[in-house]
Amino acid sequence: MKTSKNKIQGVVFDILIGVVVLFCLFPFLWMFLTSFKTRVQTIDPSVWIFKPTLENYQAVFQKRDLLLYIKNSAVVVSLTTLTSLFLGTLTAYGLARFNFSRKEDLAYWILSLRMLPPMAVVIPFFLLGRFIGLLDTHILLVIVYLSFNIPFTIWMMRGFIEDIPRELEEAAWVDGCSRFQAIWRIIFPLVAPGLAATAIFCVIQSWNEFALAFFLTSFNARTVPTTVTFFLSVLGVIWGEMAAVGVIATLPVLIFALIVQKYLVRGLTFGAIKS
Amino acid sequence: MRKRKKEHYLFILPSFITLIFIVIFPTIFLWYVSFTNYDLSMGWENKSWIGLRNYKYLFLEDKDFWYSLRISLFFSGFTVVTEFGLGLLIALLFNRRITGKRLWMSFLIIPMVITPSIVSLIWKLMLNTEYGVLNYLLSLLSIGKINWLGYENALWSLILVDIWEWTPFMALILYAGLQALPQEPYEAALVDGASSIQLFRFITLPLMRPIILISILLRAIDSLKMFDIVYGLTQGGPGNATELMSLHIYRLGFRHTNWIGRASANAVILLMIVTLLTTVLLRIMKRESGEEY
Repeated sequence: MKTSKNKIQGVVFDILIGVVVLFCLFPFLWMFLTSFKTRVQTIDPSVWIFKPTLENYQAVFQKRDLLLYIKNSAVVVSLTTLTSLFLGTLTAYGLARFNFSRKEDLAYWILSLRMLPPMAVVIPFFLLGRFIGLLDTHILLVIVYLSFNIPFTIWMMRGFIEDIPRELEEAAWVDGCSRFQAIWRIIFPLVAPGLAATAIFCVIQSWNEFALAFFLTSFNARTVPTTVTFFLSVLGVIWGEMAAVGVIATLPVLIFALIVQKYLVRGLTFGAIKS
Repeated sequence: MRKRKKEHYLFILPSFITLIFIVIFPTIFLWYVSFTNYDLSMGWENKSWIGLRNYKYLFLEDKDFWYSLRISLFFSGFTVVTEFGLGLLIALLFNRRITGKRLWMSFLIIPMVITPSIVSLIWKLMLNTEYGVLNYLLSLLSIGKINWLGYENALWSLILVDIWEWTPFMALILYAGLQALPQEPYEAALVDGASSIQLFRFITLPLMRPIILISILLRAIDSLKMFDIVYGLTQGGPGNATELMSLHIYRLGFRHTNWIGRASANAVILLMIVTLLTTVLLRIMKRESGEEY
């Protein structure tokens, strides 16, 4: 009796998981479908099976110049990620391996910077950018994005470095390595997976960022998320093209996220929760 | 000996100086602007120091400021509580033996990693009154058309989108917490004949407390600063139905009026609310990591 009751319960729970999965997946799936519809089909939600067309994808590259936005995003994302990995990992090592007064206060102060609201960051950067003529340049976005990427990198990498036993490094020192040689030969290969995961998180965060890019760029340095402004009008939105932009913008992020799935909780909580 | 003592500066200073320049300096500048009457249409040299007048304007004259503060707090409170509740249920659903668990869980990642501004577009498409798929599916259940993004419903639609996007965040973090729970207290309690509800109430919840607090605070901070989804979905409208704090700052400073001074004052207020929550969050994180070692 008891086992059959448990079985029924198990089936009910499985169905509930199916509902959750479907709920998470459906909006993305719907966007994917819409991106292959003709203009008439996009305004008929009863069309689920149809002959796919690529005209929306053609249109966003030819009419909307999506390639320029992708290029801008790629430049900004890669530069800000590389810079914060370099600066952040250096600091993470300093926090992981040295003891100095008020070390934890410093670490938590750095983390607090990660929480700044974009609207509080955007006003001074907009004004300063205007004064020195840096508005609408890649470099301004690269710099602003460091404000959340560096604290993030420091916190992630500190955890990864602390996971490596000190003794390994000390053995290398005894063998005559300098501190930097030991970092390069011992620490670096061991934290490589963590470094890669951290890099991917920086890429995702920077690729997805909207508010700062929206206010600090106007034409030349526009990034992919700002393309939503094409589709804000109430009337005459070309839903097919909108969906095509959406698919192109989100597919790379989804693939990246699946790669770092193992570290996801760690990344979402800045290393506070290690699973 | 002296040299060794200072070696850590080499590692710490580059980031530290960068952060001072790109975060602290601009924040001080923001405070400064909030005490001036600067307006984008005037030259920088023409602005003047007006003390607390921008703050007085917001508190005493700007009804929309109070409205945006109220709905921001309501929006954050409501979404965070709902997401926590649903997230906990989902985490419990996953916290048993399931075939293909990793695959199923990977679907939970979709809502929170895809570009938020694109999320708002997807939902705009689905929520359209005339040809949105949501109203179509409801019509199959013979439920009439709902004007999702109209004045009455827009805030609730925004809440719906936020719940879709961030419930998986709660679920994944709480699941990680459940997985990390020690076995011994459960074994001991089972020997004493505890029911599963008692186990949950008296062992699981207390052990999960830090993780619950951290996840709730992280979400609360994030939703208070939210800009992208609202902008894409409603731009704060219709009227000011969904004008959360960030959107009000945007309207003051950039949209119709160019009152950067007033917008800065409002941004400072938002900054202070977020800082307050951040302080609580970091205190909890500090205490937890202290207990770990």
